Formats: sequence, structure tokens, C-alpha cells
Amino acid sequence: MTRVTGKSILKAIGTQRLVIIGVLIVLFAFFSIASESFRRYTTLITMSSYMYYIMLMSIGVTFQLLAGGVDLSIGTGVICYSIVGSFIIRQMGMPIGVAMLVTIGMGVAIGFFNGVIVAKLELPPFITTLCSMMIVRGLGSILTGGMSGVWPMAGQDGSWFRDLFKVTIDGTIYPVGMLLIIILVTIMSLVLNHTRVGRYILAIGSNKEALKLSGVNAARWHIMAYVISGFFAGLAAIAYAGTFSNITPGTGAGLELDAIGGAIIGGTAMTGGSGSIIGTFLGVCLISLLKTGLPYIGLQANWQQIITGAIIITAVTIDMARNRRQRAG
Amino acid sequence: MKKSLALLLALALVVSMCSFAIATEAKTYSFEIVSKGFQSTYWQAVLKGSTSQAKLINDEAGYEKVKFNFVGPDSESDIASQVNMFESAVNAKPDAIGLAALDVNALNANIAAAQEAGIPIIGFDSGVPNAPEGAVLANASTNNYVAGQVVAENLYAKIKDRIAAASAPVRIGEINQDATSESITNRGLGFIDKFIELAGADGYKVAVIGNEKYVTDSKGEKVAESEANIIIEARVPAQTTAELCATEAGVVLSQADTLAIFGSNQTAAEGIITANEILGVCGSDDTQIIAVGFDSGTVIKAAVTAGTMYGAVTQSPVGIGERLIDMLLAAASGEAVEDTDTGCAFYTAANIASEEISQNLYD
Repeated sequence: MTRVTGKSILKAIGTQRLVIIGVLIVLFAFFSIASESFRRYTTLITMSSYMYYIMLMSIGVTFQLLAGGVDLSIGTGVICYSIVGSFIIRQMGMPIGVAMLVTIGMGVAIGFFNGVIVAKLELPPFITTLCSMMIVRGLGSILTGGMSGVWPMAGQDGSWFRDLFKVTIDGTIYPVGMLLIIILVTIMSLVLNHTRVGRYILAIGSNKEALKLSGVNAARWHIMAYVISGFFAGLAAIAYAGTFSNITPGTGAGLELDAIGGAIIGGTAMTGGSGSIIGTFLGVCLISLLKTGLPYIGLQANWQQIITGAIIITAVTIDMARNRRQRAG
Repeated sequence: MKKSLALLLALALVVSMCSFAIATEAKTYSFEIVSKGFQSTYWQAVLKGSTSQAKLINDEAGYEKVKFNFVGPDSESDIASQVNMFESAVNAKPDAIGLAALDVNALNANIAAAQEAGIPIIGFDSGVPNAPEGAVLANASTNNYVAGQVVAENLYAKIKDRIAAASAPVRIGEINQDATSESITNRGLGFIDKFIELAGADGYKVAVIGNEKYVTDSKGEKVAESEANIIIEARVPAQTTAELCATEAGVVLSQADTLAIFGSNQTAAEGIITANEILGVCGSDDTQIIAVGFDSGTVIKAAVTAGTMYGAVTQSPVGIGERLIDMLLAAASGEAVEDTDTGCAFYTAANIASEEISQNLYD
């Protein structure tokens, strides 16, 4: 029987993830010491609220990155799907459950579209999803006549969806959305590591030709990676609507960078074939901590972007150095 | 023969003059309108005003006398997109151009090109401040500096007793979505300058901290933060997004000494409301942070009605759109045009339903 030791636990967690955990602890301590306002319970609520939609996008896009691709359409997609959902509720008078299904359905449909173009027509993922990013950006505005989106606010019919992310009991807010995130991270980790779809997506990222030659319908599983990303973009759209009061059409470009950055910081290789959902979770936590914490220490807004970019580029450099070492070894 | 020829020539002259008159009367004026975009429903209200005014003119004329193309970038931080749109507008050779500039310096070359091509430009909303001389004939806009002052007057009246009772310095937050556009900077500076004036008259020292533009350009005596009774903290996010505005607002709302906060446009005000949904510190009571905003939209209207946001200033976006079409037509017809101040008003839960206010509010 294998003994569980501290060393074996550390090995199971992985070096990169340990580094991220360490950086998270150090940064959190630094912000707490530097800013009295940061040391409040509400800061955790703020951080989690602004993290949900990025985390959901990031979980989904991890599967595409693992397959050796990328999805640039998830940012504008979140806004588009969210606005369409709002239109269904406010202009069409449909129940919020229907709006949520349509929102997720649109994400799946666009994901499927991306997947077919990439997997069947073999267009580069970057170009494909760049084009679908532009299409989706305009689509929401056209479908809704350019109107901004507002999902049911607190106290209105249908506002129960906000309780999926936070509930207020006796004046205290509880970030129940984190439970949802943890459940999804667990499920998707199992999907990635213990199901055929996960194994094939990893194999596509490692060596798609070899997978094809072994008789597997690689295109089907490649499309599945994009469908998963689209599904999570749909969930992220609901989370976005639950956090932000007003959803403006035509925006969203750039949201995908936080999601992709989180996955890469968490150890997902940009070349595909290697990565984890838990790593993605930690990477997004780091990005969210920076976005929430840096304003508290009086740093001008543009420095915040510089620091976040520097951290992502460091993570990518470490990832590439690790890959070179593995190939050489 | 000579008489017949003379009669024929006279007839031809009359017919050609009539044709010319008809052609002149039937001229369709084509305008290009380059807005700051559709990031808020404010611009949709401007478009609505322009559309209705154009329809009114066309109905009166009995033909399509006026037509226009209304464009804008996706985001109010997307200066490059607006530059491209303006260039396309100039290349379309319209009879006149309406412009609300995100960054005048970036547009200077294209404005000069429009001037060379003899295309008159009418500014609207924030207009085109510091444009080359003679390029912009007039502006249809709110006096944003005055609008900022209106907010300060109403806010100060609401909180001055709390300031007097405070035993330590108090903080007033100001969230501005940028430090470049004329409308936002003027509102922000108008608010700061008026607040300093009112507080100074009551013997208080006011320090302005935060974004360099607002610190440097604010009038009044420069006071160090350590010596101030009132600290105005002006914050500007890196980009004009809902998320970043909410983050900046959250930082201010988390401070123990914050008494009030001002969001100088719809996006910033909605950022305050979003941040407050987590922190739950804003309201209209004397124990809560007093939040004031700008413009309207579903979220702000709901917050003001509920008292979560004490009040906001509304412009007349529909009126701006209407006046813009009138001024473009006048400019294209060679008539004289003058600046038009389309006005503003402060509204709270008490008067939001009044006719004067409600006609300017939009979803």
C-alpha cells in the first residue's frame, strides 16, 4: 500500500500549483497589511462575485486549450447570450428559466459552430474564434435591436437566479456561488481525467494525427471541446447577469483574456495536451485577487493592467521552459 | 420669327428656373453622426431624438429632406474605432457631420480634412473641445461643468450637517469613467470645484486626491490630505467597463470614512450600484453613504426610486438628438448656428415621476 506522506501530497498537487497557492497567500497577506479596507469580509464577497463569470469561462476554455486551440469568442459571447436572455425575459415576457436555457443553448450552438469549423474544415482556431467573436458581438445587438440587457433585479419576479451566486441571511451575504464553482471544478476534473471525452481531448492536444490513426473519430471529440467551452460561456453569461446590473451590447471583448490567462497561469499548456481544471481554478483566483486587490493599495488603474500582464507572461514563460525541459529530458 | 424665338427662350428660361427651384427644394441633406458609441442607453436616446426630428422635418417637407447615418464605437474607450468611423464619415462627403469626440487630439487630422473638404461639423454631447479654429461651428450639449456643479450643490445640501457633526475627516468619492473626454472631465471638475467652494464657505479645507487630471485641474487652494476636513477621491478605471467601474467604486465604498460618492456618467453610476449590491452601504438615511449619479437607465432609475441612490442629474439626450439634426440642417444650408445648451436637472425619488424629469429619462 502506498504511504501518504507530505512529499507525496506535494507531488500530487504539483509544483506550478504550489507556486500559485504560495503567491495567492503572499498577495492576500500583502493586500491585507497594506489596506485596512481590504481586510473586510465584504472584500471576499466582492472578489467572488466578480470571479464567477471569469471562472466559468475559464473552465470551458481550458478544454479548448488542452485540445491545442483557443476560443476568443467567449468574451463577446457572454455579453451576447446575456443580452438575449434579458430580451426574452423583458420584451418577450418569458419565464427566467426559459431565458437561462436559451442563454446556455446559444453558448452551445456557437461552440458547436466553432468546433465544426475548426475540426471539420480545419481552419485555425485563432482565426475561427476571432471571426465568431466579431459575429457574436454584432449578433446580440441585432437580435435585441441594440437594447441593453437587465435581468430581474432583487425583489423582482425571477430574481431567484441571483441566489445561485449569493444569498443574504440576517444582513450577511454568503457567496454560495463558490459552492457551485467547486462542484463544477470537481465534475469537470473527473470528466477530464476519468472519461473518454477528457482523454481524447488531451490526446488531440498532444498528437491529433496519432489519435486519428488509432481509429478514433478525432473530429467528434474536437467539436466536443468547443461545445463544452460554449456551454460554460452560457453559464458565465448567467453569472455575469447576476453580478452586473446593466449589460451593454457590443462589449465583452477582452473578458476572454482573463479566462485564458487564468487557465495558462494554472498550468494549461498553450500548445495543448497538458493542464488541469484545478490549476485553472487557482489561476483565476490569482487574477481575481489582483483585479480586486490592486485598487485597494492606491495603484493607478493602468499599473494594475501592467502587473496582471506581467504575471501572465511570466506564467507562459515558465510553461514553455517546462515544456522544453520535458522534451529535452 | 424673332418674336417667336424670344418667346421660346423666355419659356425655356422659366422652365429651367422652375426645375432649379424644384431641385433645390427637393434636395436631400445627408448627415453623418459619429457618437461615442452605444455603451449606455443614453446614446440610444440621442438616436431616438435624431430619428424623430428627422421624421418631423421630412413630414413637413413632404419628402426625405434629411437622412443620416448614426455610428459609434462599441466602447467609449475605443478611440481608434471612432477615428476610423470619423474618417469614413468624412470620405462619405456628407452635407454636415455631427461629432461627439472621445479624444479630440486623435481626431485632429481628420477634422482638418473635413474642414478642407468644406464639410461643416456640429458637436454634440461633449462636443469637440479644442478643435482647430473654425472646424466646429457649434455644439448641442449639456453644459457639463454646470451639471457637475448641480450635483455638488444637491449633495452638499444633503450631507452638510453630517460633515459638521463629523469628528474626523470625511471622504467623498468620485468615479469618472475616463480622464480624457470633455463631458466626463468637466462634470468631474465641476463637481469638485463647486464642492470646494461650498465647503470652503463653511470653513472646511478640502483635499483632492487620486487621478492626476482631476487633482491638477481642480480649482481652489491645494490642500494636503493630512490637513483636510474633507477628502475628495477621484478614481478612474483603466478601461470604461462596468466591471472596472464597479471595482473602483467598491474601493471607495469600503473606506470607513466615506460619506458620499458620485458617479459622473451612467456607467460609473451603475458601477456604484453594482458595488453596493455586495457592500450594502448606500441609501438616503443619515447613517448610509449618499450616492449620486448621472443620466438614467433602468438600473439608475430603480435605484433612485428605491432610495439606494439618493439622486442623479439627467441631461436631455432626446433633446440633444433633436437639436443636433436642426443644427446640422442649418449648417448644411449655410445658415448661422450657435451653441445650444440643452440643460440638465437633478432628480430624486421625490420628483422622478414629474413631467419635467420623466420626459428625459430612458431605459
